[in-house]
Amino acid sequence: MPSLNDYLILAAILFAIGTAGVFLRRNLITILLSIEIMLNAVNLTFVAFGRALGSADGQIIVFFVMTVAAAEAAVGLAIVISLFRHRESLNPETFTLLKW
Amino acid sequence: MTPLLVAQIGLTLFVFLMLLQSAAVMVYFERKLAAFLQQRVGPTLVGPRGVLQPLADIIKLMFKEELRPGAADPLLFALAPIISATAAFAAFAVVPFGADTTFFGLLDQPMRLQVADVNVAILVIFAISSMSVYGIVLAGWSSNSKYSLLGGLRSSAQMISYELSYGLSLAAVLLIGNSLSLTEIVGAQSGTWFGFIPRWFVFLQPIGFVVYMIAGVAETNRAPFDFPEAEQELVAGYHTEYSSMTFAMFFMAEYINMVTVSAVATDLFLGGWHGPFLPESLGWIWFLVKVAALLFFYVWMRWTLPRYRYDQLMRFGWKILLPVAVLNLLVTAAGVLYFGL
Amino acid sequence: MTVFYLFASIAVGASLLVIAQRNPVYSVLLLIASFGALSGLYILLDAPFVAVIQIVVYAGAIMVLFLFVVMLLNAPQEDTEFDARTHPLLRPGPMKFGALLAAAFTGELIWALTRAGGGSGGFAGGAVSSVEALGRILFTDYAFAFEVTSVLILVAMVGAVLLARRDDRPGSRF
Repeated sequence: MPSLNDYLILAAILFAIGTAGVFLRRNLITILLSIEIMLNAVNLTFVAFGRALGSADGQIIVFFVMTVAAAEAAVGLAIVISLFRHRESLNPETFTLLKW
Repeated sequence: MTPLLVAQIGLTLFVFLMLLQSAAVMVYFERKLAAFLQQRVGPTLVGPRGVLQPLADIIKLMFKEELRPGAADPLLFALAPIISATAAFAAFAVVPFGADTTFFGLLDQPMRLQVADVNVAILVIFAISSMSVYGIVLAGWSSNSKYSLLGGLRSSAQMISYELSYGLSLAAVLLIGNSLSLTEIVGAQSGTWFGFIPRWFVFLQPIGFVVYMIAGVAETNRAPFDFPEAEQELVAGYHTEYSSMTFAMFFMAEYINMVTVSAVATDLFLGGWHGPFLPESLGWIWFLVKVAALLFFYVWMRWTLPRYRYDQLMRFGWKILLPVAVLNLLVTAAGVLYFGL
Repeated sequence: MTVFYLFASIAVGASLLVIAQRNPVYSVLLLIASFGALSGLYILLDAPFVAVIQIVVYAGAIMVLFLFVVMLLNAPQEDTEFDARTHPLLRPGPMKFGALLAAAFTGELIWALTRAGGGSGGFAGGAVSSVEALGRILFTDYAFAFEVTSVLILVAMVGAVLLARRDDRPGSRF
């Protein structure tokens, strides 16, 4: 029977992978995917803590996180599409102008 | 091994083989019916009245050469038909198709005619059907062909759009049935109102049933919503580049999806295996009859209605079907709340 | 325990490959595999509803959206000013900093968690796994949050439509 700590360590590793992805990758899509990994790591901690405390709150918060993730993906991808139309690139380093 | 386990494994194999066969039967059924609707005779050469035609088709497909475009992504190109076929088979696993039975006393305790008795069966079906879009999208992308890509893009947009209405029509049934288990929902539909109207949910949910069937047709990419493979515009859509058995897998998946959608509709709206005249133990006959009727409806629609235009499909899905499904859910929830159905 | 390690290794391996891939289509698919493994972990944690919702919402909706955009833009390869042979960790600037930050972060978290005591402690009884109980809590205790979330979704929807719209009017700068 895995303990709470096992789940927390797993979540920490996943969160770190997500963080590394955001910093290391130079592709907007992959950066958004890395953010999804981080959100899922957080979800895992919520469910694990909820299970450890015998409470439903952990699972409830996961629903809200998923909603936020869906909203974030929709808006994020819309921004990616409109950026791509301007510069024909997904590299965030090409988007250096604030206004033109 | 206990007899129950043996029976369960046997049942699983039986369902698998029946699903495989259903594709072949549907091919014959569809060709004959299409011919009838168009005042032709259809296949006649192979076997009596052409009944062996599907067999001939399968043999032909098996001996065709397996082709792969040079610029295709090899891994995903091979993976796509596998995802499609797996999702099609897996969805049927949680569909019950008959009352508990002991197989004429062969078993000590009764066994449920269902591969896996899951208590969140409806959610599982919904989850698996939402995975089946990947097979089509990946086929479209990995083929590296413009027709395939357009077919894949169209299908992903179409399936996401219609999945909402599909899910909302399921939710209305859940409210009435007060359960997520298909077996319990079928159980709630036994008996009659006033002694002659069967307690089928289709009478409580006529709009839900219509929404479910329309969304089901769109989900299975059948005419009049067969945009992913619209042959006049896209050659064959997402499976343009597939040949031989890989093509057969897509083809089979489409027919099995039709069977699954019809079987789920039977369980949710048409009372499953409940029906007059027959004893409970022979309920699976009613189940088969109802599924066959729905499949007939599918084929009938395909050969009657012309294909929509793509923008019409999207407008219909978002501006008509979705609001109707939401309203239906609201009215159902209010009804359940005030009348305690 | 073995099941836990199986799912955990799939989740970690797939997530690592997500950020190691150059082709976004593969990244999206590997992330779906990772979500599938997480869904298995939720079942181990007696949360079957969350597990199914994970598949329906994440794998079935959000990831399809990602795949759709990747296919629509059709710009699979990452364009970078660096030589493809240069290892990401050896590149200058924010990348190296980020990698170090992530590594330090993992190390600290694991260190803290392994020293937190009670490392082998199991779970308390009384898991809430029924959909009915969850629904009751969601629509009573969390009703306000639920309503606010629906406003968030609406805002996101309007925002997405507005951002991704192609404005064809003459004189428009977009």
